[in-house]
Amino acid sequence: MKNAIRVMNELKEGGLIKDYAIGGAIAALRWTEPFFTQDLDVFIVLEEEADERGLIVLSPIYEYLKERGYVWKGHWIIIEGIPVDIFPADPLEKEAIAEAEEIEYEGVKTKVLTPEYLIALFLRAGREKDKRKIGLLLEQAEVDRQKLERILNKYGLSERSRALVEK
Amino acid sequence: MLDQKIVIGEKVLTREELFREEEEFRKERAGLSLEEKIRILVELQKLAEGFGEKRDVIIWRI
Repeated sequence: MKNAIRVMNELKEGGLIKDYAIGGAIAALRWTEPFFTQDLDVFIVLEEEADERGLIVLSPIYEYLKERGYVWKGHWIIIEGIPVDIFPADPLEKEAIAEAEEIEYEGVKTKVLTPEYLIALFLRAGREKDKRKIGLLLEQAEVDRQKLERILNKYGLSERSRALVEK
Repeated sequence: MLDQKIVIGEKVLTREELFREEEEFRKERAGLSLEEKIRILVELQKLAEGFGEKRDVIIWRI
């Protein structure tokens, strides 16, 4: 995984992306007990948001990765043996990246999303597997409830949160 | 009703104590380093592929 993180850092150093952070299950894993997952989700902030047609262009990133010999398997790009999903960040994810925790993984610097933003993102995704991760985070991670409340309010997720608690 | 006790090695625990111990164990595992958790994840992926017969699982190279 260290080498996959290095590749993400290269994308940033090379100016292909402005910033990135690890999200999804692997970020959750940073804060909870280990559980099964298959892929590494990475949220990226692009240097240029969208082209004149309003399209988010990931081609330069994929070209770079292709040139390095990385191949696709389904929706994943396999970077150094790790299936990676790359998502261009929307406003909530951009804020999550800006607030992400800087860590070192086997000596390589990276950033992971914090529990509050992960809960908000899992809540928004709303699948059963996301709800299970919310449960784990609330049970095992130190969650700043005030911060979480603020994020949920700002992004219109409070109602979903109440519905989940009532369920 | 008499509280059922479970013998584990030299320990005798009630069901409630057993659940509490399990909870503690899970919290301890949450405190492991990310590197250690990723090593455990790879073991889980191997298990899913072998024992769980999920042939499409990609075992991470770490």
